[in-house]
Amino acid sequence: MSKIEQFSYDNAIVKKFVIATVIFGVVGMLVGLIAALQLIWPEANMGMAETTFGRIRPLHTNAAIFAFVGNGIFAGVYYSLQRLLKTRMYSNALSNIHFWGWQAIIAAAAITLPLGITSAKEYAELEWPIDLGIALVWVVFGINMFGTILKRRENHLYVAIWFYIATWITVTVLHIGNNIELPVNMWKSYGVFAGVQDALVQWWYGHNAVAFFLTTPYLGLMYYFIPKAANRPVYSYKLSIIHFWALIFIYIWAGPHHLLYTSLPDWAQSLGMVFSLMLIAPSWGGMLNGLLTLRGAWDRVRRDPVLKFMVVAVTAYGMATLEGPMLSIKSVNAISHYTDWTIGHVHIGTLGWNGFLTFGMLYYLVPKMWDTKLYSTKLANVHFWIGTLGILFYAIPLYWAGWTQSLMWKEFLPEGILKYGNFLETVTQILPMYALRALGGTLYLGSVFVMIYNLMKTAGQGNFIANEAAEAPARVVAAAHKGEHWHRWIERRPVQMLVASLVLVLIGGLVEIAPMMLIDDNVPKIASVKPYTPLELEGRDLYIREGCLGCHSQMIRPFRSETERYGEYSKSGEFIYDRPFLWGSKRTGPDLHRVGGKYPHSWHYNHMLEPTSTSPGSIMPPYPWLVEDDLDVSQTAAKIRTLQKLNTPYPPRYDEIAVEDLQKQAKQIADNLRKEGIEQDGLENKEIIAIIAYLQRLGTDINPKPRAEN
Amino acid sequence: MFKHILANAGDINWMALFALLTFFLLFVISAVTIFFKSKGFIDKMSNMPLDDSLKLNEE
Repeated sequence: MSKIEQFSYDNAIVKKFVIATVIFGVVGMLVGLIAALQLIWPEANMGMAETTFGRIRPLHTNAAIFAFVGNGIFAGVYYSLQRLLKTRMYSNALSNIHFWGWQAIIAAAAITLPLGITSAKEYAELEWPIDLGIALVWVVFGINMFGTILKRRENHLYVAIWFYIATWITVTVLHIGNNIELPVNMWKSYGVFAGVQDALVQWWYGHNAVAFFLTTPYLGLMYYFIPKAANRPVYSYKLSIIHFWALIFIYIWAGPHHLLYTSLPDWAQSLGMVFSLMLIAPSWGGMLNGLLTLRGAWDRVRRDPVLKFMVVAVTAYGMATLEGPMLSIKSVNAISHYTDWTIGHVHIGTLGWNGFLTFGMLYYLVPKMWDTKLYSTKLANVHFWIGTLGILFYAIPLYWAGWTQSLMWKEFLPEGILKYGNFLETVTQILPMYALRALGGTLYLGSVFVMIYNLMKTAGQGNFIANEAAEAPARVVAAAHKGEHWHRWIERRPVQMLVASLVLVLIGGLVEIAPMMLIDDNVPKIASVKPYTPLELEGRDLYIREGCLGCHSQMIRPFRSETERYGEYSKSGEFIYDRPFLWGSKRTGPDLHRVGGKYPHSWHYNHMLEPTSTSPGSIMPPYPWLVEDDLDVSQTAAKIRTLQKLNTPYPPRYDEIAVEDLQKQAKQIADNLRKEGIEQDGLENKEIIAIIAYLQRLGTDINPKPRAEN
Repeated sequence: MFKHILANAGDINWMALFALLTFFLLFVISAVTIFFKSKGFIDKMSNMPLDDSLKLNEE
């Protein structure tokens, strides 16, 4: 037996992350609630651009994923890592740099997203300077984690730590891969990938953000905190090993299921679908492993709120991971995609799995670290039941809304025309469901305040142990012996483990993405598709700023119900100058890919100023600032130059005359508007002109007829 | 359109086979090796979260 060493666990850093988790949980949910309310009462944006749905929707998703769940991950990892390795964190300084750095990134996101500074890529909206900050803080976290692993007193790495390692390396790869962009200035960049390729890379990222930020680290936490709370080992450690390797290998391939029936090549769609279906096996293996850990202890689930939350969390994980593969089947996806079904699905994951596992973890951690008992089990139970009701009130109406709307979109009259030809009818039909969803969100958020009160009272009655004394034998590095199993070998070697995980995720990523990048013919060119004019480009960037893609897709699927409603289905060759692609993933409003030339300019002007004037009953917010504010053309030349570097075929030195061209086109549109009866001083300088130019261009390139005159 | 893409994308059947084979190999190797692990080792690993807090004042 080696010498017993004395040391202490750093609880202070865990406390910081716990507090941040709670605060940003409330913030993220509150922003989500405001967004949900705007779908019933658009005026809930309080008339400000910064608080309008399109801009706060990414704020909500980023806050929920990276601020709430992110801080939750770090709290759980910093607590469990030290104890599983029987050592203190590698460096107090790095722990604190990590903490404050991450909060600074959250603050930067909270400022830039409402200002409309966004790259428009879902869950990766933050612009390039913040992306660099994220990379930096993530590396600090990595050094701190691996430093801790290397100075451990325990030879073998428990399975939770493998999940942490896989999370770290995969998020690194994803973050770099999806944010390769060329800056125009401090607050604007264009990605190196365009159109279909951009879509594939984005959803390879987007799906794996769910997989490796919302799932794998939480599975690590599950494998640590459920045994802790139940005071019994995991049901099957062997199963957990298979769970780990199968899950990280399969997950990385599944991204294209977000792009079924789009212009993405069919082989990539099929690959995504098959791997998504295969995912059921490891996901359910993991879920059952978590639940069966409680075998023989179910009576304690009744009494212990920590276990209650964890049981519902793991059950929600099971539901979401069965539903996900089902939604990836092409024929099911034909119904579900672009509807609220998807929103219901992801909230089973975030509210149920991430939210409840976090709450369970907090109810476990706070009494432990404050060396006391939970202030009130009764209040924790109240939190549990209201929260559970909240999830049900959130998800069920959205499933209902999704089905309803999808069926309405697809219904034909015997005469062969669409029964609900006016898209708006399919929206007003589901408004009661949106109201119920907002009620569900309110219940869930309300229950969180019950938890906050309970945890504060708990902390108040205890004494916080900043440095928890512990002791363990010094580590004796076991020499490799003949005939040992490879996994025992790798469990002792975190660096090899890291490399093995990296190789596995890279296989999936490269096999899927490389052919798209290398084989030019994957995107058939269409000769008549031309780059955007400077004015259209500025309009497109306004479309991005306002987050229009949060509610409008630009991707018509090859279904009769869609070509009948919107026009010719979208071709991959139409998007080759789209940086970023703006296909969207949800239709709260109609698809816009073929909106060009569909309405007169004045219709767009009036519609943006007051949507209900052209579409009574519409829940689209008004955009008066587009009509009032002058278009900023100071960056137009720089944008053209950046796009030229990315091989957009503008003529040489076009940047020098771009603004002149822009003004010419703006004047034409303004003159046209005046003819249609719109009177406004300085009309040609307003932002609305650029938006109109862009919308009127959309989807018209494949049409051989001359474009609608400006 | 998809036919056109497939015809131009070269021989991509290897991708499906490659994916299936690597997964199959990975799954079989990990399942077999885990199956032959000693019970003592598995017990030690699965109990790891439970003996992590050797507090001095509890000794």
